[in-house]
Amino acid sequence: MKRLWRTRELSTVVILALEVLFFAWYLAPDGDRSHPFLNGPNALLILKYSSIYGIAAIGAAMVIISGGVDLSPGAVIALASVVLGGLFVEGGWSLGASVAMAIAAGLTAGLVTSALVVLVGLPPFIATLGVMGIARGAAFIFTQARFFDVSGALPPGWQPFGIPLDWFAPGAMIGLAVLFQVLMVRFQWGRAIYAVGGNETAARFSGVAVGAVKTSVYVLAALLSTIAGVVLAVVQGQGKADLAMGYELDIIASAVVGGASLSGGRGSVIGAVLGTLIFGVLRNALPQIPGATFYDRLIVGVVVIVIVVMDQLLVRRTR
Amino acid sequence: MSIPAVSFRDVRKSFGAVRALGGVSFDVAAGEAHALVGENGAGKSTLLKILSGSLRPDSGELCLAGQPVALARPRDALAHGIGIVHQEMLAFPDLTVTANIFAGRELTRGGLLRERAMRDRTRTLIERLHIPVSPDDVAGTLSAAYRQLVQVARALAFECRILALDEPTTSLTDAEVDHLFRVLADLKGGSTTLIYVSHRLPEVFALCDRITVLRDGTHAGTFDRAATRPDAIVRAMVGRDLPPRVVDAEASGPRPSDQPRFTIDRLTRRPCFEDVSLTIRPGEIVCLFGLVGSGRSELLETLFALHAPDAGTIAIDGGECRFAAPRDAARAGLALVPEDRQQQGLFFNLDLRHNLVLPREAARSSLVVRPRAEQADARAMIRAWRIKTPGPETFPDSLSGGNQQKVVVARWLAMAPRILLMDEPTKGVDVGAKFEIHEIIRRQAREGAACLVASSDLPEVLELAHRVVVMREGRIQGEIAGERADEESVMRLATAEPGAAA
Repeated sequence: MKRLWRTRELSTVVILALEVLFFAWYLAPDGDRSHPFLNGPNALLILKYSSIYGIAAIGAAMVIISGGVDLSPGAVIALASVVLGGLFVEGGWSLGASVAMAIAAGLTAGLVTSALVVLVGLPPFIATLGVMGIARGAAFIFTQARFFDVSGALPPGWQPFGIPLDWFAPGAMIGLAVLFQVLMVRFQWGRAIYAVGGNETAARFSGVAVGAVKTSVYVLAALLSTIAGVVLAVVQGQGKADLAMGYELDIIASAVVGGASLSGGRGSVIGAVLGTLIFGVLRNALPQIPGATFYDRLIVGVVVIVIVVMDQLLVRRTR
Repeated sequence: MSIPAVSFRDVRKSFGAVRALGGVSFDVAAGEAHALVGENGAGKSTLLKILSGSLRPDSGELCLAGQPVALARPRDALAHGIGIVHQEMLAFPDLTVTANIFAGRELTRGGLLRERAMRDRTRTLIERLHIPVSPDDVAGTLSAAYRQLVQVARALAFECRILALDEPTTSLTDAEVDHLFRVLADLKGGSTTLIYVSHRLPEVFALCDRITVLRDGTHAGTFDRAATRPDAIVRAMVGRDLPPRVVDAEASGPRPSDQPRFTIDRLTRRPCFEDVSLTIRPGEIVCLFGLVGSGRSELLETLFALHAPDAGTIAIDGGECRFAAPRDAARAGLALVPEDRQQQGLFFNLDLRHNLVLPREAARSSLVVRPRAEQADARAMIRAWRIKTPGPETFPDSLSGGNQQKVVVARWLAMAPRILLMDEPTKGVDVGAKFEIHEIIRRQAREGAACLVASSDLPEVLELAHRVVVMREGRIQGEIAGERADEESVMRLATAEPGAAA
């Protein structure tokens, strides 16, 4: 199976590389003006904006591999950003305490989701649809249409853990992706997630604690969305209730493009993060093409379908 | 002889490396009842799927009334007047009898459903088949027998010259079987050609004119009922004399002095089973005989803590135990080989290594995965149980049914269980694998495990059991010592009215 994952992730890397090559060629400047796409600051920009999606996609991939789906990441990201922003900017709390409260809010959302899925037995689609509405609603009620200027309240030149602010978000994404990839592949807990997603009944018959596994997955997914929200608030310097609108679908699309199967049991955390980079590059490069602005959503949609269809054709051939 | 209604001409079909049919040719005469018998895995279902248009043969052809036909999809078979009644199949449990009968072929006028016409036709059909149901009854609420007959009605709703039935009696009582047989005899009289797939020879001899035997995907012979006897059919099905059962020099089975290893005391889980008490000694194989719906699977699953009992206790070596989850049961030395390896056993998204070690690692609550050690263990298991596969990196869907079953058995036996629970351990496996699995069970018993084997396969029960316990409608009907058990005594207990026997 490990070999299969490797090949599957390899194809995601290849797609990403082809995409970068294409834009490098297409956006190549005349003369010796600097390249508008292929340069260091732009790469960092892509990584920085993708990391919000990427961190949440780690959780989304785990949920999808366990056989579920999570519609709440966008709302949980917004909730985390406003709790942090509100307490830090207007409440006079310390940054650490504000972050702790944001995480508490996100964990609550995750516990509610897992209680609905595991104890009440709701389908994950419905449970997370509900939690999405509740979390977004809570964010609106909390802000009362205000906007929290986090960057204004942070000391100038502030560096979290001594890391430059621009590097902080990509660093968090890469660190978390590696951590969770190892947990998923080399730990019994991760294998149990694959087992539950592949065949839940067989997992129960095999002595896997299915309820505990699902609870952990939904709580961790909410936690990761919360971290994405905290990173968003700190790095982009704002807390707002209408942040990250519709991110949940982009995040699910990233996980699927990275090899996750919505019927469960297949996929990987690294693949999902690579998937967010594929979309991150698109979102960065398309606006640089004159006249392409109106096409970018359409292109994103087509890309999802093309990649997944290619993947299925490949799978069919290799079996 | 007139033109046969159906002819199979050198039909071949393989699934990957597994050959399901290796050149089968035979004729079914018009208007006869033709039985198709064979061991599990002999190719009966594959042949029927080809006849129903769900599968296409790799080579060879199918002729209807002498004309070669290519059935690309189930609709084509229906258009040729072929009706199929699948085993225990209920297409749409939430729809009415009428809707089930006409599903996919609704009578319409200008796009609108002709509800009244369909209901009237349904009424005629159910009267003809003597099914005491209403066209508006929801199919899921009917008994198994009536659902089966609704399937027959569905096949007959449109012109049907050839009716094929796949094991239609597996979950029916004797009276229900009689009813079905009267209906089928009527149909045969009305010039419908019947193809009857079964492994129950008494039924085959009661209904059919000719009997075709399949063995390992080949045609082993076609026999006239009048000119043959059941043991000739059995010999053709098995194809060889089975190796004689290995009998130990020292008598196998429990010693009378042994203390019970496993005690079940008045265990109840309504509405599945009630008041079940049973003791098993080390080295003893107790076979729990019961038909589908007798509560045997639910009993085993409750013992393994997949369900919570309403009342009653279980004890190991005299000490009472309560398990909150299957993991606790596994830690206490129980193992359950489930009935349905596809639904309850295997992970088709994971390779054999994970499939083989997962229950053990779950029971141990180990933290990390150790790929190298697991790989070695999986290889050892594949060797020890003679699982036919290239290696632990293969995925379970490329294995035959018998080898899949060995994977499920092996993963539990690797934990050296003290109490081995098995639910239909040889369902859908070929004769060779069945023999090997029986030997594995006997070996576990010799090594001191207490074995409880649930089965509805009577010859298997008689072959394995030191003691036969018969279960029916959730209650234990009685028990018979293995050496005194025979088909008659077991069936008498299994079919008796509750309370009448004991």
